[in-house]
Amino acid sequence: MAHDGTSAATTQVAGTSDVIEQLAGITPGSKLAQLRAERPVLVKATQGSHEALFEPEDLGGVSHRERDGLALRVAVLTPSPKLVAWHRARLTGQGEGAATIAAFGQGPDGAGLTTREVALLRHADILANTPGEATPANIAALKAAGFTPRDIVTISQLIAFVSFQARLLVGLRLVGEEA
Amino acid sequence: MSTEKLQFTRDFVTWKPWVETVDEVGPNEEQAALVQKVAPNPKNREYYATLAHDVPALRERTLIFNEIMAGRGGAARADRELAAVATSRINGCVFCASVHARAHAQISKDATLVDRLLNEGVSAEQPEHERAIIDYSVKLTRDPAGLTAADLKPLRDAGFTDAQILDINNAAAVFAWANRLMQTIGESVAPVAE
Repeated sequence: MAHDGTSAATTQVAGTSDVIEQLAGITPGSKLAQLRAERPVLVKATQGSHEALFEPEDLGGVSHRERDGLALRVAVLTPSPKLVAWHRARLTGQGEGAATIAAFGQGPDGAGLTTREVALLRHADILANTPGEATPANIAALKAAGFTPRDIVTISQLIAFVSFQARLLVGLRLVGEEA
Repeated sequence: MSTEKLQFTRDFVTWKPWVETVDEVGPNEEQAALVQKVAPNPKNREYYATLAHDVPALRERTLIFNEIMAGRGGAARADRELAAVATSRINGCVFCASVHARAHAQISKDATLVDRLLNEGVSAEQPEHERAIIDYSVKLTRDPAGLTAADLKPLRDAGFTDAQILDINNAAAVFAWANRLMQTIGESVAPVAE
């Protein structure tokens, strides 16, 4: 692999506008860049989804810390080393300490998490690994922790999007490795 | 909720939400317009009326889904549908599998392959071309980090180009998303006996 997760995540500071390009280590003019350019709607809307879920104009009832903490746990479970590094770096950038970031990575048993965060991470654990095992009780648990229907939709989209993003990156990695 | 697991089927399965839809709580203008646009068919309305609580997320997701499943060029549409069905079969989404099995049967004008996938599972016997798509989708669903370039060989041997491989990969990937959404905020409901 040309870029490991850590270097991809640190290049975020330099700031390009395309998260997948950074995480996959895609350079202009490369085979992967040309292949991606064949589906411009996909490129644009994948970035658009990232922004809608992680940098929305209106956060509703789900904070930046909760969004990136949830995504970190999904990335740990999937697993996706690049997305793990990426969300750790984002949490650090938000001023979160190493202990909090480690707790999100550990999931519902992580030390020092709020009741809301524990509820979120329980939801992530069910969905990331056994998506067919969710029940209405999981929704009730999120409501009991204070999340609104809108928040629950956002949380579910976020978990599902990270599951997608991780696999999109795998396709690019494999086709890139073959070159 | 249902007490026993539904069977995979090509019949019309319905879906019911576990979360209030925007229709129930009173949609704002933006939500109403988006639901009308993405779900003109009332049969599908409840799913999109649930997702419309978060308008930007639904808008972007719809663009991605439509481009991956129906965008011009690249992998044959039947092949993308097959990746969707195989992924849904593993993840347990009976609704998703039924919709995309019907699409596969309609496009390929042959229901036998996809019926075998639904009834017997992802290991059921298939022709080489379909075998390569199903096996790749299963690996991507179960162990994305464990895949290496060597896992592309069956697709290469079956004649898939780089762009077509990415399309198959992305069809399976977008069902990692769809299966999780559909099975988190609601559930598949068995077809009503005629």
